[in-house]
Amino acid sequence: MDQSAELDGETFGVTAGAMAEIEGAVGDADQASESAHSALEPREAVVRVVWFFVLVGAIAFAMNAAINAGLRRVQTSYFGAWNKVMQGQVNAAIVISGSSRAAYHYDPRTIQAVTGYSAYNLGRPGTQTDVQAAVLKAYLEHNRKPLLVIHNLDAFSFVSSREIFDPALYVPYLNDKEIYDPLSKIDPTLYKSKYIPLYGYVVSDMNLTWITGLKALLGVSPREDYFLGFSPRDKVWTDDFEKYKTTNPHGVNFPVENQAVQALRGLILECSKNQIPLLFVYSPEYGEMQAMTNDRNAIFKEFHALGDQYHIPIWDYSDWKYDRDISYFYNSQHLNAQGAAAFSEDFALRLRSYLASGFKSNAELQAASVTNRLAGSRD
Amino acid sequence: MLFNSIEFALFFPIVTAVYFTAPQRWRVHVLLVASCVFYMAFIPVYILILLVTILIDYIAGICLERVEGRSRKALLCVSIVSTCLVLFVFKYFAFFTGSFASVANCLGWKILPPAVKIILPIGLSFHTFQSLSYVIEVYKGRQKAERNFIVYATYVMFFPQLVAGPIERPQNLIHQFSEEHLLRYEQVTAGLKRMAWGFFKKLVVADRLALYVNDVYGTPRNYNGLQLTTATVFFAYQIYCDFSGYSDIAIGAAQILGFRLIENFRTPYYSLSVSEFWRRWHMSLSTWFKDYLYIPLGGNRVGRGRHVINLLITFAVSGLWHGANWTYVIWGVLNGIYLVIGDMTKVWRNRFFGVFGLHEGTRVRRMIKLGTTFVLTCIAWIVFRARNAQDAAYVFTHLGVGWDFHKLATEQFFLRQFPITVAAILVLELGQRIGNYTIPRVVGNWSIAPRWIAYASFVLMVVMFGVYRKMQFIYFQF
Repeated sequence: MDQSAELDGETFGVTAGAMAEIEGAVGDADQASESAHSALEPREAVVRVVWFFVLVGAIAFAMNAAINAGLRRVQTSYFGAWNKVMQGQVNAAIVISGSSRAAYHYDPRTIQAVTGYSAYNLGRPGTQTDVQAAVLKAYLEHNRKPLLVIHNLDAFSFVSSREIFDPALYVPYLNDKEIYDPLSKIDPTLYKSKYIPLYGYVVSDMNLTWITGLKALLGVSPREDYFLGFSPRDKVWTDDFEKYKTTNPHGVNFPVENQAVQALRGLILECSKNQIPLLFVYSPEYGEMQAMTNDRNAIFKEFHALGDQYHIPIWDYSDWKYDRDISYFYNSQHLNAQGAAAFSEDFALRLRSYLASGFKSNAELQAASVTNRLAGSRD
Repeated sequence: MLFNSIEFALFFPIVTAVYFTAPQRWRVHVLLVASCVFYMAFIPVYILILLVTILIDYIAGICLERVEGRSRKALLCVSIVSTCLVLFVFKYFAFFTGSFASVANCLGWKILPPAVKIILPIGLSFHTFQSLSYVIEVYKGRQKAERNFIVYATYVMFFPQLVAGPIERPQNLIHQFSEEHLLRYEQVTAGLKRMAWGFFKKLVVADRLALYVNDVYGTPRNYNGLQLTTATVFFAYQIYCDFSGYSDIAIGAAQILGFRLIENFRTPYYSLSVSEFWRRWHMSLSTWFKDYLYIPLGGNRVGRGRHVINLLITFAVSGLWHGANWTYVIWGVLNGIYLVIGDMTKVWRNRFFGVFGLHEGTRVRRMIKLGTTFVLTCIAWIVFRARNAQDAAYVFTHLGVGWDFHKLATEQFFLRQFPITVAAILVLELGQRIGNYTIPRVVGNWSIAPRWIAYASFVLMVVMFGVYRKMQFIYFQF
């Protein structure tokens, strides 16, 4: 700002004056290098520029196709678990649907070992009931109908999705109507991911999923951390909950939104239409968090109202034996690997009795036909 | 309309096509309409505010040429006050009334600030300053008043630099609207390259760094000293790439249309002193304050004490220009203090370094100066970025506390993002150190196939590694 100030600095031996010269030279160099083309007529110039962008567009289109193909090919991790669903490779007798609490809490290997029925976990981290219903519908579309659907409930089950979590997961399958239609209701701009090359991978996605796709195309798969759709979390309790309590001294509210209630109703009707018995489970939640959820009674009232209306049993693990033991949780909503192993064992034993009893409590509507079908599909 | 949006990707080629196919006499109209569309993409009704300032200064410019003596000065004051009043109402009203109420409450008077929520029109500070520079230049007789309203309105509203500069001077821009611009291949390609480089800075560097910076500066008390330090350095790069990226895109877009905008940045982090930094950072604003505030205050042609005051006033106002918050004022004053101290200790520092044989110009001395300038700048950025003075104080006092290399990531910024981020910064530095000169010359001499592959690869690299959250350019808010 000083009028009389001299440029007193040098930048690695390049003075500001020299910098200006260089910048001038840049322009000259730039112009000299392009001088061979500068005689182009405006029409030719436009054609050439257009062709350049056509080239970029064509490469983008090809890359998009390559990423799609690569991601569809993955057989491990989150993507592998989803690909198996969409490619009809699961065909389990028992499927578990829900959010991350489903994905991280239910170990199908334990359920299989204890009950003798094949099992698969459809849990999708970061999803609400509307997306979970779409995932279940897609499963039913591509796989043999299961004999039992276990849907995991959350305190936030009646909160609608505000956005699509991990959208790149769905991009290779946006041509599937059962995925595209419900997701586009959540995100009306989803058509851009469907029709604009790379949009779904670079604009909507923050996780650089396209790298996973290209690596898969070259035969490099991600590390396997999903076992029959279940992902054990090898984590320990952090101080996140203490921070959470500090920032929410008056507790938290999860509203009951009509749209989300209808989504859960839609999931129930989908099972009913396919004559598949449904079981609601509220898997363990850290005890202190339960006390912090102000509208917990209203949420459970809604669960029971739906359960009563459609004769769906609800297994509530709110008072699970370890619900105040932080060695089984890594945060207030999620069990860690140790917690998931303990819970899966408890749950599988109860499920075995339930299955053996021929779904007595699951109403006349479905029980009779299902018992017969189960008998025929033991592994 | 954001530069990094699909809307702009459609808007700009259409405007360029219409502009070059329109007859010369209609081209400025095309630009004005395009600029209105561009601005109205944010909040349409706010174009009326722009219209008010345009009308005030357009009429003032013509009147200034017609009157003489005292009335001329009075007219200039009326024009400046009315233009600034618009800025005050929309940007500073809540700040000043809130500050007044706080002071009054401290004195025991119970005053509640008016509960008025006004959304700041995007880029208001930029076009206000551009308008002001026009009337001042006309007043000083260095610029003829523009009679053609369409030309004048387009000068204030020219869409490439409408919302975040560079703040143009009338002598540089107005006459260009009357010139005939031909569509030239080398001009288009040079403009496209400049835009691509700007998009790289914005999408690949700035917006990725923003994920980290927003997490840490959003709740600084949740992070350790290492994270606070990393976030501060990241912010230095973020704000530079965000703002200079915008300037590159603006200059490139204007270049395609045949216009030359002034440069706004010249690798400021390579500065060896804070005063040099301010000659290389946001140059269009620095020169504006120099010409229209610092020099009229007396500049350095006054006594030492008055010179210090002039510097501090200029930097305090510059801080306030950036935002209606005391943190910006403190940031401005802090930079002013740096300059004052730098000036006062120059002789002493030379002696000190001389003892160790580190004379001016030696490599080690240059490295020390470069490092010191960067650290001082980063310290100032803490105040600039923090939500309030309390947060800034917390960050200052905890930069060296509890460094834990296992806890470097944040909620949105995972460890796997670090290699990409570091690589992006290295490409940026490489581009700035050698790229500007060498790369265009070397690549430009290749035959068309490898040249196009190189350019297309760069474009795709920007596309693939960019972050596309709807993040505005930081300087839009000013």
